[in-house]
Amino acid sequence: MERGLYIAASGMVAEQMRQDQIANDLANASTPGYKADRVTQRAFADLLLSNTATGQGVGGLTTGVAADRMVTDVSPQPVRDTGEPLDLAIVGDGWFGVQTAQGTRYTRNGQFTAAGDGTLTDQLGNPVLGRNGQPVKVDGSGHVNASEVGVFALADPAKQGDNLFSGTAGGIASGAVRTGALEGSGVDPARTMVDMIASFRAFEAGQKVIQTIDESLHKTATQVASPNGGA
Amino acid sequence: MLSGLYSAAAGMAAQQQRIDGVANDLANASTTGYKHVRVGFRDLLYNAQGGSAGPTVLAGAGAAAGFIGRSQEQGALQTTDQPLDVAIQGPGFFQVKRPDGSLALTRDGSLRLDSQGRLTTSDGNVLQPEIAVPRGTSADQLSIAGDGTVRAGAGRALGRIELLTVRAPDGLQPLGGNLFAANAASGTPTAAGNDSTLRQGTLEGSNVDVGDAMVDMIDAQRSFQLASKAIQMQDQMLEIANQVKR
Repeated sequence: MERGLYIAASGMVAEQMRQDQIANDLANASTPGYKADRVTQRAFADLLLSNTATGQGVGGLTTGVAADRMVTDVSPQPVRDTGEPLDLAIVGDGWFGVQTAQGTRYTRNGQFTAAGDGTLTDQLGNPVLGRNGQPVKVDGSGHVNASEVGVFALADPAKQGDNLFSGTAGGIASGAVRTGALEGSGVDPARTMVDMIASFRAFEAGQKVIQTIDESLHKTATQVASPNGGA
Repeated sequence: MLSGLYSAAAGMAAQQQRIDGVANDLANASTTGYKHVRVGFRDLLYNAQGGSAGPTVLAGAGAAAGFIGRSQEQGALQTTDQPLDVAIQGPGFFQVKRPDGSLALTRDGSLRLDSQGRLTTSDGNVLQPEIAVPRGTSADQLSIAGDGTVRAGAGRALGRIELLTVRAPDGLQPLGGNLFAANAASGTPTAAGNDSTLRQGTLEGSNVDVGDAMVDMIDAQRSFQLASKAIQMQDQMLEIANQVKR
């Protein structure tokens, strides 16, 4: 009986984590090159219940759910024109390489700017890498040569924050760099809102289950075996 | 507690900053030589959710916006037929000396003659190198060539308006009054190349596209609303969690 309390609670905790991810997605609805996440859930291992008197099997019982994995949808998003010479977008697959203090990181957000020495950098001042692995330079009129900017293949991309991903580099990718354009955010507001409502209702249902079990426990404690028959 | 509350709030703050930028752009839709701001977005830190969650389940901390410089797009040239209105076509800046003696850069080419006959900007900052017009010469007699050479009538050259560029105009420090200061982030000013020419009798308009700015504003407003919905939802979840024990 009281096992159900914890099963329902585990569902509520998992939905909370899903809501956290949804809130982060919605906050990044305007972040260029942002990749939306999705939290998948997994049931804990089943217990096999059996009748203690006869030994006959009753069936399986899961002991709850947990947020299992976060999957990032890295598929390319539509590109829109901005006309800014230092706004870059990758059409197709691939990632921009950025040199950080922690090593090479990758991004799809091409809102770049230039440093005082003419190096192309990201918003935080990290140099953007060219095809040859060296930082890209901006020419005298403030433009970059799109063919010089590196587009790298990346396996197992993992979010690091600040638009950056880490992962296993895999050479040059097939995507083409376009200047004066930005890739849109991967957040689909309509789908995310529906996910948010669905997750909210699942959370609510978990609470109702807990309340119902609580009522049954209350009856057990106060009415069963009471001298006046629970009246 | 729910970290999503704060992620969504960070998203709202980012949209607010974007609206601030758009508002400033719209206010300067008619400012000579004004360049609209570029607002950069980024997502923030990711932390593991921990507990029963798998190791790849992360809680993101939302988004942040910041001004990453200014668009260097050419503004539309407007013909004014005023002899001392000079527009820069192509990259580059005029260099002026401010009253405190420091140097600044500007693209605002609505020039004047001061009491000593020197060419100044409309705010009275003296163009560098100084170009003095002889007493008795009216502004109508001045001709300014594409390369910046200033002549009085058909006479001899009085001087040359020099244009400067920096490697990273995004790094220029705005001083207000259409002026910018060069610093380490922008690089040292150097002479502009041949692709920059001057046009007498024209002014460079603001490069703010009012249509684009309005669309940006709508987008920012709706994204702000989306994030606020996430906060409402998280609030309701906390309420439900509170009602578990009636």
